[in-house]
Amino acid sequence: MRYVKLPSENFEEFFNSLKSWGTVYAPVKQGNIYSFKQVNTLGEVSLNYTRTMLPPKKFFVHPKDTLLKLKNGRWEESKEVEKIVLFGVHSCDIHGLQILDKVYLAEPIDPYYKNRRENAVIIGISCMPDEYCFCKSLGTHFAMHGFDLFLHELPDGWLVRVGSVKGHEIAWANESLFEEVTEEDLKHFKEFEDKRSASFKKHLNKEGLADMLDLAFDSPVWKKYERICLGCGNCNMVCPTCRCYEVCDYWINAYESVRVRRYDSCFMETHGLVAGGHNFRPTRLDRFRHRYYCKSYFDPSAGFNCVGCGRCDEFCPAKIEHVKVLDEVREELK
Amino acid sequence: MNPFQTYDARILEIKELTPREKLFTLRFVDPEINKEFTYKPGQFVIVDIRGFGEFPISLCSSPTRTGYFQLCVRRVGRMTKYMHKLKEGDIIGIRGPYGNGFPMEEMEDSNLLLVAGGLGMAPLRSVLWYALDSGKYKQIYLFYGTKSYEDILFRDEIIHLLKHGEAMNCRVKLAYEVESPSCIYLEKGFAPKVCKGVVTDLFRGEELDVENTYALICGPPVMYKFVIKELLDRKLTPGRIYMTLERRMRCGIGKCGHCIVGTSTSIKYICKDGPVFTYWEALSTRGLI
Repeated sequence: MRYVKLPSENFEEFFNSLKSWGTVYAPVKQGNIYSFKQVNTLGEVSLNYTRTMLPPKKFFVHPKDTLLKLKNGRWEESKEVEKIVLFGVHSCDIHGLQILDKVYLAEPIDPYYKNRRENAVIIGISCMPDEYCFCKSLGTHFAMHGFDLFLHELPDGWLVRVGSVKGHEIAWANESLFEEVTEEDLKHFKEFEDKRSASFKKHLNKEGLADMLDLAFDSPVWKKYERICLGCGNCNMVCPTCRCYEVCDYWINAYESVRVRRYDSCFMETHGLVAGGHNFRPTRLDRFRHRYYCKSYFDPSAGFNCVGCGRCDEFCPAKIEHVKVLDEVREELK
Repeated sequence: MNPFQTYDARILEIKELTPREKLFTLRFVDPEINKEFTYKPGQFVIVDIRGFGEFPISLCSSPTRTGYFQLCVRRVGRMTKYMHKLKEGDIIGIRGPYGNGFPMEEMEDSNLLLVAGGLGMAPLRSVLWYALDSGKYKQIYLFYGTKSYEDILFRDEIIHLLKHGEAMNCRVKLAYEVESPSCIYLEKGFAPKVCKGVVTDLFRGEELDVENTYALICGPPVMYKFVIKELLDRKLTPGRIYMTLERRMRCGIGKCGHCIVGTSTSIKYICKDGPVFTYWEALSTRGLI
């Protein structure tokens, strides 16, 4: 990894230079929530944001995504790709994208996702946890890869980690804005990380989590939450690793049609419904439990399917807390 | 290469099998694709009716017979209704084949016991043809449970095998639920191979060489537990019990997430890891059957 320092006085110039790499999207405050929006000036950006409502997955798997266009009886691939710079992505969301990579870049590769990934610059930014964050428990509070540049806050600027060839190119092009990292900067970096590490209020006990959950299939806790859960699917929409999609064909006119995929949710009754009326997950209990199983699935090569971003808690209208549910299931099993 | 792109296939023939099921014989329009297209029994394709949508369907013909492939489509939903409206000569899109299919090579030189319930006959017909055509299997049993005489899929072929199957080392047995004059005729003509009852009733009186037999099951979700119990009672090893499963497969390539089953310790995509699983996998993946 290459480490450089970006002094505060050069920050704005560096930010403005990013526009040459693509349209810049960054967290912007809108009412009470943050959202990744197109920005032109640094002033619009909320650098101290907690979490956006929709994770950066919205840039790679669009909420509504045209796959194919039917013209003269043939499907044509929709190939519009925008060069983008995602500025200010938190570590958990970078991990979330890597989980999506595992699915969409596995053979056969999803060409839409791949194109968008290749045309995006990811610039990470350090953050402070709030009451919903539990990324530290899952080891996703620090990103080792999956970004081009990562900015860590220092009292007088930013410690920049260069994480990819594209990151090197950006740093190279802005060489005059950077300085060498000093011992003092490293001290500040460590202090920030220590302070951050001590600030987590929520902890997930992941010891034997996958096995524990498997054993708790009939736990009364699922039944308790089945009654509380509204089955709205909000948690799926805001989750950086949820990726289920539904496909529909729409007619634009009598000759042209489009094949569109859109976000789907495993809380919807139709998720497991097959033609003929058989439903493989007929009750809300089945669907509620399924989400927890899917998020807590442990892949030896990639870890859990959850990054601890806290969105499902913050945006749950029934105030269901992910960690609390898992803790209660564990408690019931004892 | 866009994996969502489908290839033009022309409907060569449509045969009405039952009032609900039609057999579509298809061939790719592009001769190159036609030449390259091959599959394993148990695999499925995604049918694309352009402008209306896609749906998965298992291949019911055998790769031993080249130049065409067949799909048995039951009219149950919106898409299959469109499919049933199509005429011979019409063009649809096809992508695939997908899924793992049955391990036909591994099962060579063994007996095959095919247990089919209702529409489950379609994917197993692919195995049946493959086994009969290749001649690499010892004794082939087909236990087929159907609702009524009218619901027997591939009726001509089944009756042909009831008559002449033994000469091809193929023993076909049929169980029906709803009585009708035609069924009684069949029962009289082919006793004791045809009887009133459910598919598990067909195991009665059959000696299985468990050391040397593979069981292949396909049917409605409710059927698996009962058939598997029958097989385990006869001491068939779980590793020799293969079953092909149904889920809501949207993409067919492990992306859309609809066919995921299992729990935190074992998650499987039916479309990619299956649809064929052994009973060992069913034991370690909750919700598989």
